[in-house]
Amino acid sequence: MASLKGWVVAGLLGCLALALAYLPPRGASSSGSPFFVGQSPSGTPARQRAKALAEEWRNADAAVRLLEDRPRVKGDSLRASPAIVFRGATLSSNSVRDVENVMDSVWRALGLGETKVRVTLAIELQRPYASVDAPTPLQDRVAYLAPDSTHRTDCIAYLPAGAYWTSFILGKRDAMQDRLGRFAQWLQAGLGPCAFYAAYGNPGRHVQSWLAARNWDVGLYLGSHGIAGERFSSLTILGDPRFPWFWDGVYSFPPATVACIAGRPSGCRAAVLAGAAEERMIPIPNVVLPERRWWRAQHLLPGERYLGDIARTVGRDRFLAFWTSGEPVDTALAAALKRPVGEWTADWERGFVQPIRLGPAAPLEGVVMALTIAVFAIVLVAGTASRRQIR
Amino acid sequence: MSRVLLLWCAATLAMSPLRGQDSVMARAHHRADSLLSSWREAQRLADVADSLEQVRATAGSDTIAVGALRIIANPSPLPLREAAERAWPAIDSLYGSVAAELTEHPYIFRAVDPDTAVRRTVLHVGAELPWDLDVHATSRILLTTVTPPRFDHAFADWLGATLRPTLRPGDERSAVYLQLVTVPSEAVRGCFLGDIVRCKDVLQIGDSSGVLARWYVTPAEREALVSGVFGDYFARGGTALSLQKCRRHQDDACTALLQSLPPGSLPRPLAPVARMVLVREALRAGGRDAYRRLVAHPDSPIETRLSNAAELDIDALVARWRELVLAARPVPLTFPWWASVAAVLWTAFFGFCALRSSRWRL
Repeated sequence: MASLKGWVVAGLLGCLALALAYLPPRGASSSGSPFFVGQSPSGTPARQRAKALAEEWRNADAAVRLLEDRPRVKGDSLRASPAIVFRGATLSSNSVRDVENVMDSVWRALGLGETKVRVTLAIELQRPYASVDAPTPLQDRVAYLAPDSTHRTDCIAYLPAGAYWTSFILGKRDAMQDRLGRFAQWLQAGLGPCAFYAAYGNPGRHVQSWLAARNWDVGLYLGSHGIAGERFSSLTILGDPRFPWFWDGVYSFPPATVACIAGRPSGCRAAVLAGAAEERMIPIPNVVLPERRWWRAQHLLPGERYLGDIARTVGRDRFLAFWTSGEPVDTALAAALKRPVGEWTADWERGFVQPIRLGPAAPLEGVVMALTIAVFAIVLVAGTASRRQIR
Repeated sequence: MSRVLLLWCAATLAMSPLRGQDSVMARAHHRADSLLSSWREAQRLADVADSLEQVRATAGSDTIAVGALRIIANPSPLPLREAAERAWPAIDSLYGSVAAELTEHPYIFRAVDPDTAVRRTVLHVGAELPWDLDVHATSRILLTTVTPPRFDHAFADWLGATLRPTLRPGDERSAVYLQLVTVPSEAVRGCFLGDIVRCKDVLQIGDSSGVLARWYVTPAEREALVSGVFGDYFARGGTALSLQKCRRHQDDACTALLQSLPPGSLPRPLAPVARMVLVREALRAGGRDAYRRLVAHPDSPIETRLSNAAELDIDALVARWRELVLAARPVPLTFPWWASVAAVLWTAFFGFCALRSSRWRL
């Protein structure tokens, strides 16, 4: 007993010595530099206004160019697929024919033939701009001129080709099978809302207003594969689906979207019907400009294929009934799905995203670890107690 | 009369969509023109505002001049002069005679209290630094943020980094040595063994055609690259079949997949630090005007620029680079003679303590 007391006293003295050495007021020198976050320089308000005006001009300029293209479009009586207009360079007839052939196969793959709404693809080939008198024109976003009350049968998709596809179209890159496949995917994704107009005609008033209010985020892709190939959707752009979500990323979305990712039908319903209550006038010209990073501004994940998946699931007739319905969106959609919108969407969401857990919850590994430590402590105490010698 | 009226009405109705189109177009044009004119005006105002902001941000600041370095900062305990005196020799020795142009690129710092929770004003010009940095940390900041004079994009793309001075050139060379002996690449191994042509290949000097075959020489390397680095990328869509073939050791499929990659996405066998060491050696060999010669002709091929800078044949320069890197072999870890004795003694001591332990008695 006496010897153990000595050890205990020595231990306490050791702790005291350490405390005197390391704790304030004497303190210890810092082991590293303190964490300091400097501000990134931001533009002056005047510069930010100039940038905002440049962005507005880009959108207006894209609208002008789409409007200029509309009267020039002439349908090719021999081809059912979209007419293609190239801007920025004059192409050889062989190059044009190659692109048209790929477009024909894309069109057939979408199950489209002769359509009431004629689609035109305006491909902007990349060229250098060196003007200081005007901002750089729109080069990194697609834009669409959807049918309106003055032109009910024309839809034009503006597709900037960028450096890679420009050199491919101009024949500066080998047209290998893999590249052709990716080129076809790029063209298909570029059709955007125009593919829906071609397949199902002009939507009813409520559906059109709903889509306009949410900038067509649920109708950007009609194809059955991912937007850039098999399984490649906006979710893939947001992060590798094999790994858990970053919470910063999750909470950058609206609450309804987060609830839908968590598998809650009420959240899914709210995410789907966002914008449905608004009564929007369809502008003339009806220019649709998806956000620059549209995958970060979605209400559903992967929203770009939501309407396309519904169309494939319910079949053409039921989808057409929804598309042209005069009923409010929730009623028309529930009728087409033959299920409550929230439930169907929650199931659809589960096909892409493992539902996340919201709210406080101890992780399984944490619980196991805590129980293990508790059991170990109990065994240790019990073992010690059994070895006690009472005199 | 009624027939004429009817014809007029029909013509008017037929023309109305065209007129509508014209008015929509005119409105769109007008809007674009109006925005363009507003943007031009806003640009002019923004230029003036930026210039005024530059003046405002530096008003009441001290200017510290050491060599050609100019540092504009608000009064603070930051040891900027001492740091600049340390950094200037390294900067001057790298950029040589062109370093004199750094007077045109002053550093603008705002020293701030790192411990306060008071909201700082928005920063428009320069950079913020905590004012409790020591001389070493401050000089490191000066070295890592110096604006390389006349630096061009072609050179930066090839280098894969920005050419700035370093206080530890030996560490860079050792890092390259480790890459030469550990990177699983026949081309790199050939370079390590003294094949200068291979060294030029892996440093991306000279002929830029067929880099795939020259960087990834063996079918095994190409397969490893496809399966490892690009496995997930190729696993989707039309390339999935080719990926399977590649994984079954069909080199044609692997090569085709790698050739389909966008330009510039093929991983370089050696990290940018290898090229950095080569450039530093070229500048060292070429004397004070070496950097001036390096940046004199941005359109020339890299090997010509390096050769001009060093005033050496490119093969000779690469050979010097290789010798320099081989000489930087890291020193193997050696124990002093008494370390093993101390280890045995400590082991024996703890063993003795353990044997002496008795049952607990409370």
